[in-house]
Amino acid sequence: MKSRFAWTVAVAVLGATAMSAATAYEADWKRGRIYYRQVCTSCHNTEMKKPVSPSDRTKAEWGAYLQADKHLKGKEPVTRYFSKQYRDGIKASNAAAAKFADVPEKELLEDVKAFLNKGAKDGDSPASCS
Amino acid sequence: MKADRFRGRLTALMLGGLGVIGIGVGHASMPDSGSTPPVKLNTTADHARFKELQREFKSGPEVTKACLICHTEAARQVHRTKHWTWEFVNPDTGQRLGKKTLVNNYCVSIRANYPFCTACHVGYGWQDKDFDFTSEQNVDCLVCHDTTGDYRKQPGLSGHPASEEREIPKGSGNIVKPVDLRKVAQKVGKTSRDTCGACHFFGGGGDGVKHGDLDSSLSAPDKPLDVHMDATGADFTCATCHATSSHDIPGSRYTPTAMDKKGAMVRGQTDKRNPATCQSCHGVTPHKVQARLNAHARKIACQTCHIPAMARGGVPTKMSWDWSTAGKRGPDGKPLVVKDEKGRVIYDAKKGDFVIAENVMPEYAWFNGHVTYTLVGDKLERTDGVIGINRIGGSPTDGKSRIWPFKVSRGAQPYDSVNMNLVTPHTAGDTPTAYWKHLDWAEAIETGMEDFGLPFSGKFDFVQTEMYWPLSHMVAPKEKAVGCAECHSRDGRLKDIKGVYLPRRDAAPWLDLLGWSAAALALLGVLLHGGLRIVRGWRE
Repeated sequence: MKSRFAWTVAVAVLGATAMSAATAYEADWKRGRIYYRQVCTSCHNTEMKKPVSPSDRTKAEWGAYLQADKHLKGKEPVTRYFSKQYRDGIKASNAAAAKFADVPEKELLEDVKAFLNKGAKDGDSPASCS
Repeated sequence: MKADRFRGRLTALMLGGLGVIGIGVGHASMPDSGSTPPVKLNTTADHARFKELQREFKSGPEVTKACLICHTEAARQVHRTKHWTWEFVNPDTGQRLGKKTLVNNYCVSIRANYPFCTACHVGYGWQDKDFDFTSEQNVDCLVCHDTTGDYRKQPGLSGHPASEEREIPKGSGNIVKPVDLRKVAQKVGKTSRDTCGACHFFGGGGDGVKHGDLDSSLSAPDKPLDVHMDATGADFTCATCHATSSHDIPGSRYTPTAMDKKGAMVRGQTDKRNPATCQSCHGVTPHKVQARLNAHARKIACQTCHIPAMARGGVPTKMSWDWSTAGKRGPDGKPLVVKDEKGRVIYDAKKGDFVIAENVMPEYAWFNGHVTYTLVGDKLERTDGVIGINRIGGSPTDGKSRIWPFKVSRGAQPYDSVNMNLVTPHTAGDTPTAYWKHLDWAEAIETGMEDFGLPFSGKFDFVQTEMYWPLSHMVAPKEKAVGCAECHSRDGRLKDIKGVYLPRRDAAPWLDLLGWSAAALALLGVLLHGGLRIVRGWRE
C-alpha cells in the first residue's frame, strides 16, 4: 500500500515538475538591458529629465516595485509599458520597441527583471543608465 | 480498494501527462516552434548537457581543464597571442612592446602590480614575474566566452574570480560574491561586447578612463553612438570586425593600419590583411551618393568625419592625470579625495589630479601607422618639455598618411632624475612599499624598478607626458558625422593641419578680392556688351 502511494506521488510530482520546468522562461538579460535603456530610460530622460539607474535600487526594491505594478505613483500599471499595444504605439520612433515588437509581453518583462536583478545596487553587476 | 488505486494512478498519470503537454507548450514558444524539438540557434552545442560541466568547480583552472577535454588545441592557440603573452615585437621598429614592458600615463605599468593588473589577463595566477606562460590550465576560457554577465575577475586576485565572499577593496564595505563557475561554464558561448568590454571598456582603472572611444555605454548602444554596434540595428560584436582566427584577434594599436588601399575583402581572401579597417568592408570609395567625398577619403581617415567626438555615451574619459600632486591629506589626516559637482573623483591622494570630460572633440594629425614608444630604459634627453610616451609617424607627403582623430592623454608622471629614465612605481597591494597604501614614492619606485631589473638612483621628479590613442569606435551614422563647415573654416577642426589645401580655411583675402573683382568685371563687360548690342539692334 505504502509503495503504491509512493509511486503515485512520485509520478505526480514528476509530472508537475516537468510542467513547471517546461513553462519556465529563461530570461534574456541582454534583451532586457536594451529595452530598459532604450525605452524606459529614453522616456524618463525626455519626460522626467532624470533617468532611474538599475543601481539606484536593491534587488528587493525592484522586485517589490514590479510586483506592485504601479507606475506614476500608482496612476497606471508599469506592465503597460511592456504591452504589445504600447510597443506598437511607439515603434515608429523607437528602435527597441520596433525590434522587440513581437516579443511576448511576459518574456519582455522577465528580461527586464533579469537585467534589473543583475544591475541592482546589490546585484552582480550594478548598472547605470548608459 | 482497486478503484482507489486506479483513481490514484489515473491522477498521477494525468499530472504526468500535463507535464509532458506543458513541455510541448514551453517548446511552442521557442523560436523554432511547431512539432520539431526545440533548438538553440546561437550555438551548436548546449554546454549544460556535457557531463564534464555538470559538477561544482572550485577554481577557474578546474573549468579550463574540463574545457580542454574537448577543445584540445584552444589553450595552446591562446598561448600564441598578445592577449596571453602581453608582449609584442613591433616589426617596424623592433621595439618590444606589450603590457609586460610598456609604461603609459595612466596607472603607469604592471610591474610589481601584477595581482591587480592581471585581473585583465586571459589567464589565472599571474601574481609575479615568474608566471608560468606554458601552463594550459591557467588559460581563462570564461573571461571571453561568458554569456551570463556574472563572471568577474577582481583586482588583487591575480586573474582569478572570487571563490569566496570577500570585501574588495579591504575596508570599503563592498562585498564581492563568489562566481558560480558551474553556471557560467554551462552557458559559455561566443564572445560579445560585454566580454571584450569587461577589460577594454575599463582600461586605465575605470570605465572609459583610457581610450575615449571605448566604455560601457557600448555594451548596448543606440545608433547615434555607434552605427555598427547599435543594439537594435546591426548589433556588431567586437569580433565582427576584429575577425578572429585561432584565438588571435587582429587590429592592434601598436601597429595600426592608417591607410588601407586594398578595398573590400572578399570571402576566402587569405592575405594577412587587417580585417578591422573600414575599407575591408566599405571599400575605398564608400560614398555612393556624394561621390565627391571619396576624394576626401584619400587624405582623411574615415574616422575623422565619422567620429565627431569621443566619450559620447554618458561616460567621461580621463584626459589628464597628474601624478605629481598625489599624496595630499585632508584636515583629518586621511588621504584626500575630491569630487566634482556630479560626484566624480577629480583628485585622489593615491593618484593625483584628474581632468575628465565627455563629448570631447578629438585632436587631429597626419598618421601613417608608425608608432614609437618611450620605454622604461630609454634615456630622456630633456625633461623641461613634454615626453611622448608614444610618438606617431606621418606626413602629408609620404603617401602612407591620412589625417586621423586622436585622444591625446596628458599628465605628469615620475622619472629617475639621475638616471634620466621613466620609472614604474609599485602602486597597488597590501605590501610595505605600495604607494597607494603608504604614499611614499621612493620606496614604491624602488620596488617597481627592482621587478623590472633596472636601477633606481633614489632621486625622482615628475615629467610632463602625452600619449596618442587613435580613435576607431563610437562611429556615428552619416547624419551625425562632422559637417563640411566644421573643417572648412578658419578656426575649424583641422586648423592646425599642415600640408593640405582646405578651401575656406586656406583662403587668402587679397586673392579672393582679386578673383571676385575679375569675376565682377567680366560680368560687367558681358552686361555692357549685351546692352550695347540690344540698343544697337533697336536703332537699326
